[in-house]
Order: sequence, then C-alpha cells, then structure tokens
Amino acid sequence: MAVALKTQNLPPIKLIRNVPKEEYYVPGHRTCAGCGPALQYKLVAKAAGPNTIFLGPTGCMYVANASYLCTPYTVPWMHTQITNGGAVASGIEAAYRVLLRKGKREGELPNIIVMAGDGGSVDIGLQAMSAMMYRGHDALFICYDNEAYTNTGIQTSPTTPYGSNTTFTPPGSAIPEGKKLFPKDPPQLVIGGHPAVKYVATASVAYPVDLINKVRKALNVQGPTFLHIHCPCPKGWKFDAAKTIEVARLAIETGMWNMYEWENGEYRYQFKPKRYKPVREYLKLQGRFAHLADVHVAKLQAFVDAKVKAPGIPVETPVPTPPVH
Amino acid sequence: MPREMMLSGCAASAQAAKMAQVEVICSYPIRPYTAIMMELAKMVANGELDAEFVHGEGEHAQLSVVLGAAAAGARALTGSSGVGVTYAFETYSPIAGGRIPLQMMIADRALDPPGDFGSEHTDAMSCRDQGWLMGWAENPQEAFDNCLINYRVGEDHRVLLPQFVCQDGYFVSHMPGKVVLPDQGQVDEFLPPYNLPHPLDPKRPVSHGPQIRPDQGTIMDLQRAQAMLDAPAVIREVIDDFNRIFGRNYSPFVEEYMTDDAEMAFFIMGAHTMTARHAVRHLRSQGVKIGLVKLRFVRPWPTQEVAEALSKFKAVGVVETSTSYGGAMRGGNLLHEVRASLYELPQRPLTTSFMAGLGGEMVPLKEFYYMADILSKAVKEGKTRKTVYWVGFEAEE
Repeated sequence: MAVALKTQNLPPIKLIRNVPKEEYYVPGHRTCAGCGPALQYKLVAKAAGPNTIFLGPTGCMYVANASYLCTPYTVPWMHTQITNGGAVASGIEAAYRVLLRKGKREGELPNIIVMAGDGGSVDIGLQAMSAMMYRGHDALFICYDNEAYTNTGIQTSPTTPYGSNTTFTPPGSAIPEGKKLFPKDPPQLVIGGHPAVKYVATASVAYPVDLINKVRKALNVQGPTFLHIHCPCPKGWKFDAAKTIEVARLAIETGMWNMYEWENGEYRYQFKPKRYKPVREYLKLQGRFAHLADVHVAKLQAFVDAKVKAPGIPVETPVPTPPVH
Repeated sequence: MPREMMLSGCAASAQAAKMAQVEVICSYPIRPYTAIMMELAKMVANGELDAEFVHGEGEHAQLSVVLGAAAAGARALTGSSGVGVTYAFETYSPIAGGRIPLQMMIADRALDPPGDFGSEHTDAMSCRDQGWLMGWAENPQEAFDNCLINYRVGEDHRVLLPQFVCQDGYFVSHMPGKVVLPDQGQVDEFLPPYNLPHPLDPKRPVSHGPQIRPDQGTIMDLQRAQAMLDAPAVIREVIDDFNRIFGRNYSPFVEEYMTDDAEMAFFIMGAHTMTARHAVRHLRSQGVKIGLVKLRFVRPWPTQEVAEALSKFKAVGVVETSTSYGGAMRGGNLLHEVRASLYELPQRPLTTSFMAGLGGEMVPLKEFYYMADILSKAVKEGKTRKTVYWVGFEAEE
C-alpha cells in the first residue's frame, strides 16, 4: 500500500533565537525547580509542533505534569502504564495507518512521541519499547533519563550511575559505594538489535538547539526512532536547582555522557571535548556521589576512560531494513 | 443471503470480527484462542479484511496496542486464553476506566499450575470486577453473535465499556457447530461505525488519564459503576434489534429451558449448557420436574432477572466451571452472586454449588444426573446437605 502517510520535513534551526515561540507544553505544571525532564519536554514539544500525540508512561513526567485532572499539553496526550508506552504508541500508529487509508481521518500521520523515563524505557518498559522498534512503527520513543526512579523517592534504575546514593542503594559500612552496578546503555540496546530503526541519537538539556534538531530529524524519518536525553534532576542527584545546565554540560565535558547520532549505521559525534575533564569535577557538584572514596571515583573514572576511547560504539549493527507494513 | 456453515467457535469469532470490520487487531499465540487470530491473519493476508494486524510481544502488549488503537479512533480486537488473560491484568482497569470500548475474545483455559490446555472459566472470571462487559457463548453461533452484540453495546455512548467475549476453550472454540452467517448489510444495519466521543486527534486535542486527587477518585469509580448500571437497558434494546435484524430469539440476560412447573433447575453458562439441556430433557421424560436457566451476561450481573427466574424453584444447582479458593461457603463466584441476588426475596430457593469441569474435564450426562439427584433430595428434605459438591471427587454426605 504505497500511500504517503507522512511527508513532513521539519526544518533544522541554527540559533537559540530561532526556537519556535509557540508552546505546546505550557506553564502550570508541578515539576520541581530546575527540573531537567520538564525543560526537555518543553523543547521537544516546540520541535514537534501541533500535529503531535504524546504518550506519557507513569513517571515524573506523568505525575508532576498531569496532576489533579489538569495537564499542560495543548496537543493530544494520553497516560500509559509505566510498562507499555511503546505498545500503546504502536496501537495509535496502527490506527492512524488504517484510518488514513480508509479516509476516516484527514491529513497525515501525526508525530507519535512516547515520553518515557529511564524505567519506562529500559527497565519495566523495555519489552514494549523494543517491540515497537522491532515492528517498525512510525513513532519516536524518547527516554528522558534522570538516572533514577525519582518520582517514587529516588530509587536506583538501570541507568543510575555506579556509586550513586539512592534510597535502594544507600551507602553503608557493608556497601560503601552505594550502587555497585554499571548502567545499561539504552541507545546501544536499540541500535544493536532492531533492524527497522534508522535513527538514534543522544541529546542533553545543556544544548537545546542540538536537541530540537535531533527531535526534528527523528520525526522526519519514516519508521521508529529513539532519543536518549540526559536530564539532570536537582532533587534526585542533590544539587542546587540553579545548576541543572552546568551539571548537564559537565556530564559531557567529563565523558559521563556522550553526544552522538546514529543514522543508517553511521555515527556522528557532537560536543566531543578535545580533552575530557576528570570525572571528579562532575561528581563534586552532586550529593548522590558525596560518600564516594577515592577508590570508587577511580573505578568510575576507569569506566569513563574505557567508554570515551571509542565513545559508545563497540557494537556491530545489522544492516537496517525497511519496516514492513 | 445468509449462509449456513459448520464452523468452530474460533472460526465463527473470526468471521464476526471480519463482518464487524475491525480495524486494528493485535495477536499473541496461546492455545486455544490462537485459532481466532490464525483465521484473521489469513483474512488480512488475502485482502478480505482491511485491518492492521499487529504482532504483540505478549498479552500485556496486546491489550496495550488495542488500547492505543481504540483510543485513536479505530475499532480494535484482541484475545487470549488462560495465563495470557491474567498476564494482561494491569491493563484491564485503565481500559475500562478510560471508557475505551475495545473487545477481547477469550477462549477460556485453566490457569497454571500445572500447565493444562483444558477449558475452565477461571481465567476470565478472575478479571470480572474491572468494568468490562462479560458473558459466555454456548456454541459457535453465540460466539459469532456475541461479538457483534458486545461491540454494539460497548460502543454505545451510554455505556462505553470494553468487552470480554468468552467461549469455553475446545468445547466451543474447537468444536464445529452450525453457524448462520448473515449478510454484510444486516451487520451494517445492526452495528454503526466505531465512533469514540474523544479520540486522540491533533485537530481536537484531549488529555486521557491525568492523575487525580484521592477525593476525585470516587466520582470516577461511580461513573464506571453507573455505566454498568446503565448497560442493561442498552442490552435489552440491542438484543431486540439483534433478534429483529438477524431473526433470532435471544433473551437479553437469562434463558430458560423446560422451566414450566419445574421444582428445581440447573443454573449454568457456557458450553456445558448443551449437555445440561440433554440431561434435563431426559430427566423430564422420566417425570423429574427439572429445568435449566442459562446466564448470558456475568457483567453486568442481571440481579433482578436471576432472582425472578430462580424464585419459582424449590432448589437450584449452580454449575460452576471455576472456583474461588477460600470463598464464602466454599462456593464459586457464581454461587456467591446467585445467593446475593436471591437475598431480598421473601422466599428463596435452596441453592447448592456444583464444581464441575475444572481443568477442562468433560461434564458428562451422568454427572448432571448425579447433580439432579442431589437437587431432588434437597427438594424432598427441604434442605441442602452441602453447599458445594466437587462433582466426581467428593462423596455425598
């Protein structure tokens, strides 16, 4: 069935002053001061524009945004369980496909965006996310990563860094470093095993123009796409709410976070420092790492050193094949 | 012209879904309902049915996919059996509470442990309190008809509830029976196009499912409960229309068989009704004053109709193909609901529960004769000796 469901070509922007003024994620929500996830939501909504449907799996961006029967979205939005954002998005995309084909809806396929936290993306939500990628639905899955289950009171998730103090990994005399495990790598999970996916990128609230352009690029692609967006959380990471951007930038400058795009099997890097700062510079701003001894910091530094040698890439990817519909 | 065919319950269900022109289907394999999806997959592959056929990654995903599809404005269908039904449990309340009228076809199956392919009502019965319409088909014809009836009732704006459309695994799902397939024109006259009042559409932005304060919860629960209270009037209307358009003779909630002057009756639903009917006919020929009352909807539970139908008997045997471990009076859920329905009556029949057919066991004629014997004794003695009999496994006291 060769019906063009999507012809949009959302243009990239050059400068911060070119960011669209229209808001689709409007004031009045109840996120914390300095909330990284709320900031990226605002930017993603601006980038996507009005022909958009957001899915909100349970998490901070559900609970803090959609309180008391009020929501801050001027586009359609639906709550999903924390488990099933990818599956609900798949159903919406399938519905639009058949409704447009039968002439029951006009226009073109809307931007379908799942806005999931790290748990809703690669922990309890992994199965549904992976299946959406595998089946080739035309939807964007965003993992806004604040590196913990923060809405429920700062519990460890698969993306919580080694050495974090969370309420499920409190440091103590028997376990001095707090969290002992190293994190999952969400974009590599997507790239590594989903041949229908053509575009994956990482982004950060520290670089809004880059973030907007990656969202637009992802939405212009026909097929499933994935964005992993770094979103510092003042409450969960225990830093001054005025320093969200500073913390986000330091994550990139120390190599804790890497900025890249993966498009049809090719990697491109952004904001790759010539010389990485020591990880300790990043850690010292955050209370979640305050308990770490030198030996733990060294372990984290070694992890970062290994990672930035060839940032994020030691995975062979299969040749992408077009989605089947 | 309507055509008469021999179809299994699964094949009949697939034909009904096709004639209902479902638009998004989500599958996951588990026996015995799988055959419905295999039929539909062929129809989509052959171009007989213009629908999106999505391969879910599990039952939880199946329900999630059709939730998204139905919320976006497409008529959606899924289905499952046994542990697949319970695996999806998280999704049932959000779908019903979100008032998304999608349909799930269940060919029932015993829950583990251990693995058992047999039919049992327990899978769907475990999900009965979430706000879904629910009822069992006795044969492939009813499996066909119930699909259309449930879509029409569930999608009615006075109801807006999802539907569990159940049939006994194997006994209905895999046993061919005579099915009259109507004309598409009849179906179109009966079932208007899917029309959700608040679909996800960027041209008319809506928010589905924001958080609430605890004090906002009760009113929403009350609205869901009210939809169930409003459903019976719609069901009556719909059954009238169905009978008129398709030339059938359904009662909306309970069907009686040989109940004139009966002193006792089986109260039953689903496939074993067919055997029970034969038993009643045979017993009647021997002068035993017994009849049968068949339940068509478990949800909404027809309290008034059940009370009225059963009030005229001296003893009622509730035949249950599921149980409630540790439940009141050791009874199954049907006994609990039957007794609650009878409570207000000035004069109540004696009631006893028969656990029969668990794990997919056949319930042969001789077991119905055994049950009838127990009911006869109850009538004679004016009391029941036990409230529950595990038929074939527990000696009569």
